[in-house]
Amino acid sequence: MTSSQYVSPFGKNGPRRAFLSDLGMGFTGLALGAMLAGERKSLGSPSDALWSPPDGKPHFAPKAKSVIWLFMNGGVSHMESFDPKPMLNQFADKSISETPFADVQSPEKLKLARVTVIDDANGQQRNKIYPLQVGFKKYGEAGIELSDWVPHIGSCADDIAFVRSMWTTDDNHGAQTQFHSGRHMLDGEFPTLGAWVHYGLGTLNENLPQFLSMGTREYWNARDGHYLGPAHDAIPIRVDPSNPLEYGASHRKIVGDSQRLGFDLVRELNQLRAVEYPDDPVLEARIRSYELAFRMQASIPETLRFTDETESTLNMYGIDAPETKEFGMQMLACRRFVERGVRFIQVQHGGGGAGAWDAHGGLKSNHTKNFQAVDKPIAGLLKDLKQRGLLESTIVVFATEFGRTPGTQGSDGRDHHIYGFSVWMAGGGIRGGVVHGATDELGFHAVEDRHYVTDIHATILKQLGLDSRKLEIPGRKRLDIDHGVPIDAIIAS
Amino acid sequence: MSPWAIAEGTDYEKNVKTVLAERCFACHGALKQEAGLRLDTVALMTQGGDTGPAIVPGQAKESLIWSRISSTDPDLRMPPEGEPLKQSQLDAISQWIETGAQAPPKEEPEQDPEKHWSFQPPVRPAVPTIHSTTQTDELHPIDAFLAEKQMEAGVAPVDLVDKRLWLRRVTLDLIGLPPTVAEQTAFLEDDSPDARIRVIDRLLESPQYGERWGRHWMDIWRYSDWWGLGAEVRNSQKHMWHWRDWIIESLNQDKGYDQMILEMLAADELYPEDASKLRATGYLARQYFKFNRTTWMDETIEHTFKGMLGLTANCSKCHDHKYDPITQENYYELRAIFEPYQVRMDLTGDELDLQKDGIPRAFDCNLDAPTYVHIRGDERNPKTDKAIEPKVPGFLASTVPFVIHSVELHARAVFPGLREDVVAAYRKRALLQQKAAAAAMEALEKDLETKSTLEREIVHLKKAIADQDLQAIELRHAADRIRFLGERNDSNSEQVLAEAAWSMRQLAVLQADLGRKELELQLSKESDDKKKEELSKKLKVSTQQFEAAQMKLESIGDDYPSLIGSEKTAESNVESEESRKRPFPNRSTGRRTALARWIVNEKNPLTARVAVNHIWARHFGAPLVPTVFDFGRKGTPPTHPELLDWLAVELMESGWSMKHMHRLMLMSSLYARTSSSRDATPDTLRSDRDNKLYWRMNPIRMESQVIRDSLLSLAGELDTTLGGPSIPVNNTGSKRRSLYYFHSKNERNKLLSVFDDANVLDCYRRASSIVPQQALALENSELAQELAIKIVNQMEPASSDRDFIAGAFRKVLGYEPNDQEVSLSLRFLQVQKEGSPGPSDTEQASNRSNAESISPKAAFLLALLNHNDFITIR
Repeated sequence: MTSSQYVSPFGKNGPRRAFLSDLGMGFTGLALGAMLAGERKSLGSPSDALWSPPDGKPHFAPKAKSVIWLFMNGGVSHMESFDPKPMLNQFADKSISETPFADVQSPEKLKLARVTVIDDANGQQRNKIYPLQVGFKKYGEAGIELSDWVPHIGSCADDIAFVRSMWTTDDNHGAQTQFHSGRHMLDGEFPTLGAWVHYGLGTLNENLPQFLSMGTREYWNARDGHYLGPAHDAIPIRVDPSNPLEYGASHRKIVGDSQRLGFDLVRELNQLRAVEYPDDPVLEARIRSYELAFRMQASIPETLRFTDETESTLNMYGIDAPETKEFGMQMLACRRFVERGVRFIQVQHGGGGAGAWDAHGGLKSNHTKNFQAVDKPIAGLLKDLKQRGLLESTIVVFATEFGRTPGTQGSDGRDHHIYGFSVWMAGGGIRGGVVHGATDELGFHAVEDRHYVTDIHATILKQLGLDSRKLEIPGRKRLDIDHGVPIDAIIAS
Repeated sequence: MSPWAIAEGTDYEKNVKTVLAERCFACHGALKQEAGLRLDTVALMTQGGDTGPAIVPGQAKESLIWSRISSTDPDLRMPPEGEPLKQSQLDAISQWIETGAQAPPKEEPEQDPEKHWSFQPPVRPAVPTIHSTTQTDELHPIDAFLAEKQMEAGVAPVDLVDKRLWLRRVTLDLIGLPPTVAEQTAFLEDDSPDARIRVIDRLLESPQYGERWGRHWMDIWRYSDWWGLGAEVRNSQKHMWHWRDWIIESLNQDKGYDQMILEMLAADELYPEDASKLRATGYLARQYFKFNRTTWMDETIEHTFKGMLGLTANCSKCHDHKYDPITQENYYELRAIFEPYQVRMDLTGDELDLQKDGIPRAFDCNLDAPTYVHIRGDERNPKTDKAIEPKVPGFLASTVPFVIHSVELHARAVFPGLREDVVAAYRKRALLQQKAAAAAMEALEKDLETKSTLEREIVHLKKAIADQDLQAIELRHAADRIRFLGERNDSNSEQVLAEAAWSMRQLAVLQADLGRKELELQLSKESDDKKKEELSKKLKVSTQQFEAAQMKLESIGDDYPSLIGSEKTAESNVESEESRKRPFPNRSTGRRTALARWIVNEKNPLTARVAVNHIWARHFGAPLVPTVFDFGRKGTPPTHPELLDWLAVELMESGWSMKHMHRLMLMSSLYARTSSSRDATPDTLRSDRDNKLYWRMNPIRMESQVIRDSLLSLAGELDTTLGGPSIPVNNTGSKRRSLYYFHSKNERNKLLSVFDDANVLDCYRRASSIVPQQALALENSELAQELAIKIVNQMEPASSDRDFIAGAFRKVLGYEPNDQEVSLSLRFLQVQKEGSPGPSDTEQASNRSNAESISPKAAFLLALLNHNDFITIR
């Protein structure tokens, strides 16, 4: 039995307000953005006559709709991935001061660092040059040099813009937060990029939440909304259809459609209450959130059930091999969520300690293993998005909090390195086969077209059609550096 | 009034003055006059500054203002900070000057910042006299103030809410728990005129009041348990719950708000030997941050000023405040007040292990620590040529004195090991050990032949150690009294000190002997060669230690370790152990006492206003000043300034009694009105749909803690034990009230988080989001489902489904269902019964996941728990 078989609770007088009839049929195109408008408004102060909350529409014509944000926790070695430096082999085991590039360590050039933990064991200068632990070669028609640890990503090089000139300021893993929010952790807590996008843009699918997160988030980087409010935190998802999210499945067994009946009763009782309390935006929003909750319970497991995928698709993501299975499933889930209209998905790879990539020792075995886990799945995602025509409207970002030192830490590791490192982006109007910016010969400092982390945010927001200055909230003044500058050189014209 | 109220109309007012106000007035207005220039009226622009007039009417390109705002040279361009003005803004200014730079008639300059409304001490305004046709009694003062504005706007208040719902509202509001069915019945039957006030008084007297309102103040005062990396404390302190319990107890005693502020900021100076009051300085201990003293100081300043004074002093860390008369130097003067303080952990009760318990508290440690201005707020760049003096901002200091008196501390505060309760704790532990050792001796007597000589020696040694320890405690205490209190008794003082020292050396010998013998015993029982070798090595070391202790025994000297009553928390990760073990200073600067007295001085214009605004917002669902932490010129002015001032004066004159304010606000007619706008007049809806004039009550979404506590309470499962250590978040089965859950940046109870738990970094108003995870939590969680079953079991047996439904509505939602609600519910029960062969209504709650389905009645009850009006205070 469904709710339509019930006698209308409104009798012959009909619904008192128009929204009630909307609810009878479900969502009828009301944006989730509108649902939360009341709450957004409360963030600002009513005296700011010039300010109004976002309406969920882009500020200008967007080039992209969705973002898949891949973040490698711990810090990936840029020299051994996307910015190979043969000079490290030439000067292997020499002290940096003995090379022609000694001035990279001049105190003036090291001023960027803003230390969180004084005299920490990590985040220090490492003077003895450590040779590359892996070979490299040219990939794609563009002939971009990449390491042998990323052959699959390399095979997509012509779709990727590599940015080799990133810098940040936190020499410890607070840089994870910094990459997401643009602020050093000593400044406090600020909304992350995903939260801004979620705050600024309305929904693409009324059955699914718009901001998801997968993988391990370190505790200092566990939330997104901050002053925008917890409604703009990503919802953590597990790629497990039977238990995909917190409270996503009933504790007790559900018989037949008893739960649907329960949801129906809640809706109908709330609608009756809305007759008693007309004009209550919270009550209206509550009714809608129950609709979304009920749909999510079905739509999220459905998205995470891969039964309709072909074997060749599964293999493309490496789901057939144990070392790539976990991340491959997350990548496939990303495609399926994007396909269904989820706006922003962030996937963190590698938990434990400060992040699995944090190779203070044993860099070779660490990066071999980690790249093995992500390289093929990421390439699979790029290729699959491309063959389905989704890459045009989806930005895929590969990022990490900082690079690693050209010098060695201990006998076989590299320390945190904030002065130059690499990230890349693909799809959503980003040019392919491009290398942008450069570090010096040792991979120490970003020297050409230098970019702070918020330039990545600005680039993404531009492609999504958002002006971050228009999203600002009264009383929460943002600085120019918080907004960043779009990297126009990697945006297709 | 906004500082620059501008009439709609001319291009100047709409397109020029708004831009100038936003971007230029901070430096060229009433607050500051850089280069002698003000831009807040056309006349002042024409008059100009040090370099001549800012505008030449009719000639935009010749105007100084134009050359500066349109310059492409970043050194010349105005404004110097932030983005350049937009082209459209430049065009508007240019066009306005070109067309003659017309000024509006009677243009007034900006008000003197020091004349801002909230910087003037509140004066009790007369309560308006309202001639009402409907009301014969005299209006409650709150209603009179509201009625005045309502009548002006043609807005009519709505009717009173029904009694049952009022009872639910006031009970949830004051104690955070729903009324029982018995309480509902009693109140409905009570027709006496003082029925309501008696309910209010009953609730205010209940210990649950302190828990409910304690949580509100914990939001504002940023309560947080410690967090860090693994076991390392990096933020806040262990055992912070002592401060939480102090908050609850203070509220239950109706301690004055002024007194609470004095104790939180300065109990260590005002009541240095009162352990109970020292708990209050947990407020300062909570600010602890191991890795950066500037971050620690910044947060202390920011949140003391936002929370207690409604001032955004933090905005002047890097540059002078853009809106309020607070200079950058003022900011560092505030820092100088806090600069000397550090955190230490005092022993409490019988516990001698500070990892297990202790009172985290503030004390002035570095009396001479200098404070310097940080150039552009950069801590790496201090201006060391000038030490900054502790002060409060001048514009407020002129009306309220800020006087610092250094405080001499009694030895018991400086050397807490002297305190009788601390000595008693040491003694108690030693007595317990002695008792255990004596018992072991007795057991040995009965079992002599089975024990080896070595084993017997060990038992005897343990007894000797216990005896020696007890004796040493007494001797050390006696010696401490001589050393620190200057006490003299009959015996030779030097001899007492020497005896204490000797007894400790003796104890060391016995302990080393025990260590040695225990290893010997282990070795004798070990058969594995490798382990034997290890033990032999250890034994060798141990024997050497024993010999060293014996050697020392013969040495002379009166140096002994005093009884320890407190340990300082490391100032930073690089502070040495030696520095940490320095004796505590025997005086305190008195700076925080001066600050606290200045804050609670009745002439301070902000304190009482900010406090009543917080209380009002929590009772009525909306604050009178929407920017609750900013009463400055950038903040939003109050909707009802006279009412705010009247309440502020009332708070102060009542002796800062919060219970008095609760009673006052809750006895207003406003508090008794419905939150429905259904019967509002068309005029009311037309002129004030958003209820800014309080013609109805605002519904309030319950805080996460109230939701969980209500569930437990309805099911009769709530454990009402007061206070104590925080409950670990993984103990999801706890039945204690939610405010007792461990609560830090990293660790929070999951269910509470779903419903907007307090942000420990900043929570002046709790968020109330509406997200689908909340629906999933109330529908699917073990807690909601199992408690729904228990609630059904708790209910009086009903003679019919109809009775059951009505009873459930009353119990869970606090109102009587109407016919439609009853028939929908009946149908639901019917369909559930037909559709599910599940368990009967008398099922037992279960902890087994997915064990069984849920009965029709429990399913119905679960639906009511998901009703909007369950989590809403109507």
